[in-house]
Amino acid sequence: MADEWQDPYDFAVEVAKIAGKIIRRAAEEEIKVNTKSCTVDLVTATDVRVEKIIIGAIKEKFGEDTHCFIGEESAAAKGPSVLTDKPTWIIDPVDGTTNFVHGFPFVAVSIAFAVNKELEFGVVYSCFEDKLYKARKGKGAYCDDEKIEVSDIKDIHKSVVISEFGTNRNVDVVTEICATMKRILLIPVHGIRGTGTAATNMCMVACGAVEAFFEIGIHCWDVAAGAVIVQEAGGVLLDVDGGPFDLMSRRMMSANNRTIADRVIKEIKIFPAERDDGK
Amino acid sequence: MSAGLNATCRIRVSTNSGPHLLPANNFSRQPVSDINQCKMSDPWQECMDHCVQVTKQAGKMIHEALQKDIAIMQKSSPVDLVTETDQKVEQLIISSIKEKYPTHSFIGEESVAAGAPSVLTDNPTWIIDPIDGTTNFVHRFPFVSVSIGFTVNKEIEFGIVYSCIEDKLYTARKGKGAFCNGLPIKVSGQDDISKSLVLTEMGFKKNPEVFKTMMDNMKKILTIPVHGIRSPGSAAVNMCLVACGSADAYYHMGIHCWDMAGGAAVVTEAGGVIMDISGGPFDLMSRRLIVASSRAIAERIVKEITPFPVGRDDTAA
Repeated sequence: MADEWQDPYDFAVEVAKIAGKIIRRAAEEEIKVNTKSCTVDLVTATDVRVEKIIIGAIKEKFGEDTHCFIGEESAAAKGPSVLTDKPTWIIDPVDGTTNFVHGFPFVAVSIAFAVNKELEFGVVYSCFEDKLYKARKGKGAYCDDEKIEVSDIKDIHKSVVISEFGTNRNVDVVTEICATMKRILLIPVHGIRGTGTAATNMCMVACGAVEAFFEIGIHCWDVAAGAVIVQEAGGVLLDVDGGPFDLMSRRMMSANNRTIADRVIKEIKIFPAERDDGK
Repeated sequence: MSAGLNATCRIRVSTNSGPHLLPANNFSRQPVSDINQCKMSDPWQECMDHCVQVTKQAGKMIHEALQKDIAIMQKSSPVDLVTETDQKVEQLIISSIKEKYPTHSFIGEESVAAGAPSVLTDNPTWIIDPIDGTTNFVHRFPFVSVSIGFTVNKEIEFGIVYSCIEDKLYTARKGKGAFCNGLPIKVSGQDDISKSLVLTEMGFKKNPEVFKTMMDNMKKILTIPVHGIRSPGSAAVNMCLVACGSADAYYHMGIHCWDMAGGAAVVTEAGGVIMDISGGPFDLMSRRLIVASSRAIAERIVKEITPFPVGRDDTAA
């Protein structure tokens, strides 16, 4: 039976590569930086331009009003992001804007597609590494067309965990994040790492370079594509309280298996973050 | 072992040795006396050339090891890892250098672990970390490097850092600039701490006070605020990320001279600053450092962080 979402999937791959090329070129020029919610929540003209290009290309291919869009830069203007049953593209044009501004090597284009609120596929293009991760629901996960899978480590003491500070500089929040990191290090684990890009971090779980990545404060567009890739690579996706993953909750735990996820979850102290859908 | 990172490990050992090497035909057309003059004018260039070659061989050995299963051993604690590859790479490097330079001294991470002394003398000395980022190596997290620094009279003359998975060869000869894969690199020049990206690493500490201080330091830096903190997991790579402008500072307490020697040359030749955590001059055996794109950034970090004791590489534990 033909896959009705194969065309959008193939198109997502092509448009992610084009977006990545634009980002690489923009990185060679001087980058003017603006801020959004606070002084370390950065945005550039490239973020805005790339999102317009992606959405424009999709609309041209599939029709002006056929699909819906949740994009980071459009959301900034519009308010809460509501996911309906309609086919919806969930886009982060430049995941890792801080890295982009600094030339730190992890910057990704993240494109996911949901129908009836179920994620159907995800594409993450890590454009400075030139690695394209993709996954179609039920068909496995790939990096540059080679199948990838999560690591088989079940012993938390042999694991590497990614944990990020995010952009919240409120002292109480930073204190909680540091305290959680310290508890994880005390388990002990092999180490804590951070690339600064949620989408890339999820791909690190998916290809087995780390065992877990969690964060409170990310947005749906940061994790939607990675969610498909991790699960199709054999990993698990949960809420940080151990419940089912909620795309709009601003929190996410991804891991190679439930054993590792549950052990890390034990150490996480949850702090509030306003939902993406405003509920 | 997952196929993904294997698939993207593009193993391209560069044939371009970079502008710091003289092309062979420069020597062949010159009279012998002029050749001797060339060698005298930079007595350590030949050592550096040899260092580049042996680093590439070491990188090849690491790439081959990444294709197979890796058995892990522990050193001082369950999070202080070592593998057979660390040991084999160090043996390869030392034996290659000893054959050409039998009078030189060595400080290598795995030799020291096996009981060799790590006292820096005036003698020409090779300071070697065969795999910086062993944890990353074991997990295939993308930052794994070979790091070699060369000192004479306790001064660093050149440094080489090869970031194997990225296939980036950083080289720096004192007074002659820093390069990545043959192209010149320089620090970002950022002098505003509130616009900086800072690298540091966090690891398990047995002493609860030390552990608390380490985490408090990160909190203080983050809430200045800075743009972000990143933890790539290899000290030598971290120094090179500052050197090429991808980050603006890196500070660390608890590393070793073999982690720092190669990168120290690269950062300073890229126009960066290197100093002790206290703000005083950098001390290669002190087990601590700050490198930064500017003095202003370095000094601000000095202001914020509280040192904790880490011992020295040149005294008994």
